[in-house]
Parts: sequence; structure tokens; C-alpha cells
Amino acid sequence: MTEPASVIFVVDDDPSIRRAIKRLVESVGLQVELFGAAQEFLQSQRQDVPSCLVLDIRLPGISGLDFQRELAEAKNNIPIIFISAHGDVPMAVRAMKAGAVEFLTKPFRDQDLLDAVQVALDRDRARREREGEIATLRERFESLSPREHEVVAMVVSGMLNKQTAAELGTTENTVKVHRSRAMEKMQAQSLAELVKMVERLKLPPQAS
Amino acid sequence: MVYDWGAPTRCRSAVAVFAPSSAADTAIHVVEFSSSASQGGLPMISANAVITGSYNYGEVARSILIAIAASYAALDLAGRVTAARGRARAAWLTGGACVMGIGIWEMDLKGMLAFHLPVPVEYYWPTVLAALVVAILASAVALHVASRRRMGPADALIGSVIMGGGIVGQHYLHMAAMRLPAITRYSPILVTISILLAILFSLIALLMAFGLREETRWSILRKLGSAAVMGAAISAMHYIGMAAASFISASPPDLSHAVSISPIANFGVFTIAWIVLAAAITTSSVDRRRGEEVRQLNQELEGRVAERTRQLEAVNQALRREIVEREQTEEALRHSEDHLRLVIDTIPQQIWSGPPDGYLDFFNAQLLSYVGLTQEGLQGEGWQRVLHPDDRERVLTSWRESVMNGTPFEEEVRNRGANGKYRWFLVRGVTLRDSAGRILRWYGTSTDVEDRKQAEGELRKQKEVFQKIFENIPVMIAFFGTDGQIELVNPEWERTIGWTLEEIREQNLDIYAELFPDPHYRQMAREYAAASTSEHTDFKVRVRDGRVIDMAADVVHLSDGSRLGIGKDITERKHTEAALQKSQENLVRVTRVIAMGELAAAIAHEVNQPLTAIVTNANFCLRELAGGTPKVEKLREAMGEIVSDGARASAVTSRIRALLQKGAPERTKLDINQIIEEVTLLLRGELTRNRVSLRTDLGLDLPRVSGDRVQLQQVVINLVMNGIEAMRSPVQTRDLLIKSGRNHNRNEVLIQIQDSGEGLDPQQAKHIFEPFFTTKPEGVGMGLSISRSIVESHGGRLWAESDLKGSLFQFTLPEQ
Repeated sequence: MTEPASVIFVVDDDPSIRRAIKRLVESVGLQVELFGAAQEFLQSQRQDVPSCLVLDIRLPGISGLDFQRELAEAKNNIPIIFISAHGDVPMAVRAMKAGAVEFLTKPFRDQDLLDAVQVALDRDRARREREGEIATLRERFESLSPREHEVVAMVVSGMLNKQTAAELGTTENTVKVHRSRAMEKMQAQSLAELVKMVERLKLPPQAS
Repeated sequence: MVYDWGAPTRCRSAVAVFAPSSAADTAIHVVEFSSSASQGGLPMISANAVITGSYNYGEVARSILIAIAASYAALDLAGRVTAARGRARAAWLTGGACVMGIGIWEMDLKGMLAFHLPVPVEYYWPTVLAALVVAILASAVALHVASRRRMGPADALIGSVIMGGGIVGQHYLHMAAMRLPAITRYSPILVTISILLAILFSLIALLMAFGLREETRWSILRKLGSAAVMGAAISAMHYIGMAAASFISASPPDLSHAVSISPIANFGVFTIAWIVLAAAITTSSVDRRRGEEVRQLNQELEGRVAERTRQLEAVNQALRREIVEREQTEEALRHSEDHLRLVIDTIPQQIWSGPPDGYLDFFNAQLLSYVGLTQEGLQGEGWQRVLHPDDRERVLTSWRESVMNGTPFEEEVRNRGANGKYRWFLVRGVTLRDSAGRILRWYGTSTDVEDRKQAEGELRKQKEVFQKIFENIPVMIAFFGTDGQIELVNPEWERTIGWTLEEIREQNLDIYAELFPDPHYRQMAREYAAASTSEHTDFKVRVRDGRVIDMAADVVHLSDGSRLGIGKDITERKHTEAALQKSQENLVRVTRVIAMGELAAAIAHEVNQPLTAIVTNANFCLRELAGGTPKVEKLREAMGEIVSDGARASAVTSRIRALLQKGAPERTKLDINQIIEEVTLLLRGELTRNRVSLRTDLGLDLPRVSGDRVQLQQVVINLVMNGIEAMRSPVQTRDLLIKSGRNHNRNEVLIQIQDSGEGLDPQQAKHIFEPFFTTKPEGVGMGLSISRSIVESHGGRLWAESDLKGSLFQFTLPEQ
């Protein structure tokens, strides 16, 4: 396995189904962890690796859909695949709108589950990657001096060096020095790249 | 005062003062002797000197004796005057007054003479006579008062004032008659005392006389005693009067008409007084004795008259008795004649008679009073008027026939009474014949039979009512004689059975054999009919056309041992019941299917779970097999799970099939806990879906119950589903508790299903067990109704309790 290790979490109250899913998913080389209830999942120690959640709609205690909402509120963005013994359309719509990767009706085709797992893991991986880049950029951005911050803010808003200098009450040359140093710190090759970087930092760090 | 009785008739004393308390003293003197002026040789006493007098005590004693004698005479005379009537009374009163007055006057005079003054004393005689008259008048009043039938206080008082006044008056008249060479002065106090005493003594004297006037055995002695008291009292008064006077010497008086009362005259007076008194007393007692003789003669005479009267009375009585006896004899003679008439008139029967030609001429009082007519009014053919117009022709024909042939007559007839109303009579007539057989007279009676007729009418009506009931009631009735044979049947019986009683009798049918072809069953029916007590029983009966009908039978015993068999064709009812039961079963099944429909989601889940596992495991196996090197161990593991999940799915489907099964209810011994577990397993999905947390608290070692598994499962499903429904609204907690336990007291198993919903509306709670009552929008309203009928058909009870913390449904099942 050249890829970083990933984990599939399965929450279903039927042990028979849990075991079957584990068997199936492990057969394609993925790691699986099983839980009988949502609470057990929350209390578990989980690796910080790309992962996804296979969640039964009907659970003892809190239901699958409610659990999905709870996770979202806790800013846990783990991708969710719902499985349900008697899924109805409103339920599926609700789940998908809340960001579920897939809504599978029991009994499901094995490939459908495995595909969904793959999609979910890719999505999680991408999410994790995106979240990593932004963290790097923020790190660089925060290493800028206050004056450099001001200069960058003005430059990316489209102001010319001259205008910036006038605004800051300094010379055009000084502005140029600040700008080139800021670009150096941000590792931006061009002004366009710098603008993109700042745009990404402004976006909320979340998928789509 | 001290009297010197030893002194020779004269006593001198100086001033004598008497204490008023010395009651024994009858004469109180305040007399002073200091000087005396006298005429005729007596030493002259200077003017204004008080003349002292002295008493001759012998005279005093005599005066008192006279007073006592006079008193006795007065008392005695009072009795006489009382006893006398008319002129005799007047004579006695006059005589008595004279005697008593003379006695008083004499005593007073005597007392005056007993007083000696050292000067010559003479008396003016007219005044002395006046005193006598006063004394007599006062005595007359006193006697009159004391001799009256009654003496009231006023009479006594007035009498005593007059008498006392008379006595005092004659005394002072005597004093006034005194002629002596001195002036008489009176002490006003003593005068007053003397007057009051006179009145007081008079009152006492009157009361005594009044009390003593009736002669009693001791009257003489008592009279003597009383006379002594009275005499003493009068004397006392006299001497007080004497004491009231004092004499002061003065010039000689005018002596015209004055006489000197010499000791001889004095003695004469005394003697005369005694003679008068003695005569009075003698007269009085003689008179009394004569009165006594007259009374005795009277009594004798009255006795003889009474004797004679008695003799006459006896004769009279004897005569009366004789008359009465004679009357009784006559009465007895009359009696035998009247007796018959009396009997004829008083017996409670109407009687009539008449000569042989049929024209009636006698009717007794009862008959007359009933029809309100006289003998004359009924005689001849008059009696025919009281006949009821409808009866007239019949009765007259019959009567004419009887008269013609001499045969006894008997008819029931309505006769009009005095009140205008008709009553039924039984009229009978017979003939009296002579030795030759010729009819002498007709005799007859009319007996009131109205009440009997009415009773007959009512009986007839009643009989008709029962007859109509018997003929028209849609119930079979057969009457069995004491021998057990059918004697009578009603049309409904014949219609239902198909044979008529006539046919049965004609063909000599053994009806039991026809109705009950099975000999064993027939015997049972016979025994039922013959049993002394019987209760409602259903029989199967084969009727004439071969149909077998259901008959509800009852046997009613009559007092004489016969019986009524009552039967009803209930074939149709039985069919209806059977149909109803079938539809009930269908309904039970339908509601079960409906319940299943409601459970569809839960069932799908239950089936899908094992299917999912199976499919997933199978896919895994396929993948493994498609790969190069299948891991055999993994494959076997997956296959094993597929098998067990398949079995699980199969169990679910068979549970559902059992619930939907159509088939006759089947009673087996059941473990109620097992049923609860099965149901909760089936409903687990439904519970989870509704986020209901289920808790079970099942009793250990519960006895088995007898019941139909499917039906009891349905009850538990219904109750659990109801509980889930009750908690569908957003309630805080959704807890469902199922408990089972044993009720030792009643030998039953108790199952409780408690939810944490809002509880039942009390208004709804009343109706929840009624069919088609529902609170659910899509409910049919049969669940609880069916559940209750199932539980009750198992011999148990199903009921609900509810409060704000939820509802508790519980049912019991009897222990096996």
C-alpha cells in the first residue's frame, strides 16, 4: 500500500450485517472498524487518516440521520454512506442534501457499496489535501510583517504600486520592496498566483 | 289585788292599783275612799271628797252564779230556738230573750247591790226597768244570731256588738239609776275597756252557743263549762264597769221615783231571778223531752207506713210477674205461628208460591225487597214484569210447560232489582200434592247466582285468552298426562313437527322414535321429559320431512303431576349464531391482516436484515472465488453466516405467516412469556423506528395458560402497537414496559403493557373497547374490541388504566 492508510467505519445494530460488510470491504484491502451504535463510534479512538462512515439509518438510540446532523454541527466532515432496510425517497433526499455520499437500500449490491466507499475515501482524501494546503498558505501568510500584510491586501485588490505608496504615505520603491518580500515569503511566482492564494485563504476551509 | 276573804263582809283598803296582767282578777277597781258625805246621821264629808265603797263578797259570788245560770239558760235556749220552726221559734226566741235578759239584768243588779257605799244609795226605778228592756232586746238579738242556720263573720260581729252594747248599756243604765249624795265620775279608759270586753265576751258567747246548739252526748257538761266561762266573763265586764266609776261627795240627790233596795228586796230579787232561771231551764228541758217523744212517735209511724208500703209493693210485684208470665205464654203461642213467617222472610233466599194454575200469590220479604214491589204488584202475572226482556219468552214457555205437566221448574233468569239492574237467579219451583197426587200448590225459590255467573264469565274469558295464546303463540306446546302420554299439542307444535296429534294417535306412532332416531339420544330426551326438575336444554329433533332442527326445550310441571313441554325451533338462531361466530372469526383475521399491514415496514426491515447479510456475504464469497487464491477459512465463515441468516429470515416469515393464518382457533398450553418474546422480536423494528425503548419484566415460573397462540399474539401486538401509537406525539420519553406476573389470589396470569404517552382522555377511555372506535387517523377501531373479545373468550379480562404518565393496559388469563 503506497497510499496512506485509510479506515472504513461501519455503524449498524445488526452484528450479522456488520460482519458481512467488514468481510466484503476488507476483501478489497481496506481497513474496517465496526460499531453497534453511534455512541460507540463517537467514543472510539480514531486514526487521523482518510476515512468514511457506513451508517445504518435505523439505530438504537439516535437515528442515522440525526447522527449525520450532529456530526456536521461538530464540524466533523467525514463522508457518510447510508444503508437502510426500507429507505424511502424523502429520507434519501434528506440524507443526500445533508452531504451524504450515497444512500444504499438493503440488500445492496456489493459493488455499489465498494464504489461508494471509494468515492467517499477520494472525497475525504481531497478534503484533507485541500485542508493541508490552506493550512500551509495561512502559515506563510501569517509570517508576513504588518506592513507587508497591508501592501499585499492593497495589491491583490488591484491597486498600483504608486497608489499603494500614496495610500500608505511612502515611496513607490518601498512598496516594491515590501511586495517582492511578501511574494518571496508566500512562495508566489507571480502576482496572479499571489492573488489566488489570498482568495483561497478567504474562502471558508470546506469542500464545495 | 288581794281580797281579804276572812274579813266580815267589809274591807277597807286604800288606793288599790292593779296590774293589767293579773288576768285572774275579774273586778278592777280604782276607787278611792277618802271622805263621805252622807245623809241621815252619817258623818259629813267635806265637799269634793272621794267616797270609798266596799263590796259584799257574798253578793259578788251570787251575782257571778246568776251570770253563769243566765249563760247556761242562754246556751240551752239557743239550741231550742234553733230546733224550733215558725211560731214555736218566735215563742222560744221571745221566752229565751226574756229569761236571758232578766238573767243579765239580775246579775248586774246583784253586782250593784254587792257594792256598798258609806252613803245611802237609792235607785231611780224607771231607769232600772229600761235597763231590763235593753238586756232583753240584746238577748233576743244574740239568740237570733246564734240560732240561725249559718253564722258568717259579719253576723257574728254585728250580733256581738249589739249583745255587748246591750249588756254594757244596761249596766250603765243601772249606774245612771243610782241616787246618792255624790257625783259619779267615769274613767274613760276603763269604760272603753268594759265596752270592748263586753263585745269580745259576747262574740265568744255567740260562737260557743252556735257550736253547742246541736245536742250531743256531752253537751250538758260542755254547756255548763261554757256557761261558767261566759258567766265569769259577763261578771268581769260588770266589775270593770264598776271600777270605771268613782264617786265624789255632793249634795243629796233628787229622790223622786227612787227606791231603796233593801236586803230583803235584794233577796227577793235574787230568789225571783233563780225562779225565772229554773223555770226557763225546766221548760227548756221539758220541751226538749216532749220534742224527743214526738220524734219517737213519728219514727214509729213512719216505720208502720214503710212496712205497709213494703207489703203493698210485694203484692204489686207478684201481680206484675203474673202479667209478664201471662204475656210470655201468649208470646210463645204466637211464636210458633210467626216463626215460620219470620224464617220465610229472613232467610237469604227469595221464596214464592201460588195455586196450581200458576198464578203466583205469595212472595217473601226478601223477594219483595229485591224487586222493590208489593205483594199486590207481583201477584198473578205481575212477577213477569221483572224478567229480563231477553229471558222472558224462554222462561214463560218453560213455566207454562211445568204448570201444565206438573213437572219441576228450573231456569236461570235475569231479574230486575229495585235499583233497575238485572241479576242472574236460579229459579226453581216444585209442587205440593195431596195423597191423591193432585197439585195443591207451587212452591219456589229464586237464588241469586250473579256472582257465580260473573265468575263463569271471567273464567270463560280467561280460558279463551289462554286458548288463543295456546293456538297462536309461535312456541311449541305439548301437554303430557300423568302417564307421560301426549294429550294435547298446539298448532305450532304440529306445524313444526309435521304430524298432527290425530295422526299420531291414529297411526299409533312412537313419537319419540320419530323425533329422536338415535336410541341413545332418544333415551336422553325421554329422561329429560320425565325428570322431576328440568332446566332449559337444547335438542336436535328430526321432523316429519326429515330435516333436523334445533329445539330449545323446557318442561313445566303442573300440580297434579302432568307436564307441559315447551319447545322452540331455534334452528335459524343457531345458524345465525354460527354465521355470526364465523364472521367474528373473519373479522378477527381481517383486523390481524390490517395490523400486519400496519406492521409492513417493520416486517420488511426484519426480513431485509438477514437478507442484507446473506447477499453481502454471498458477494464476498463470489469475489473470493473469482480471485486467484480464495481463502477457504474466510469462505467457510461467510457461508456459515449465510446459512444462519437464511434461517433467521425464514423464522421471520413463518412468524408472519402464523399471524396471518386462517384456521380454526386452537387451544394449546402456552407459555405467555414466550408469546411476549416472539411479539417483541417481531416488533423490534417498529419499536426502533419509533425510537421507543422497550423493557420487559417477565415473571419466572409462570404457570401455563390454555389458549390460541396466534390470537394471544395478536392481543399483545395490538397492545404494543397501541402503546407505540400513544407515544407518537413528541413526548419526552418513549418507554414501553411489558410485564408478566401471577395473580395468586385468583389463579390467573397477569400481563401488563405500560406506555409513557399522554394517557387516555377520560372521555375516550370509556369507548376504547367499543368496536370501530379509534383515535388514529387511519385506524379501523377494531384492535381493542377484538383483543377484549379474544381475552374474554379465553376466560380472562382486559382493561385499561390511565394517568398523565401514560396508559396501562392489562389482561388476565386463567391458569391452566
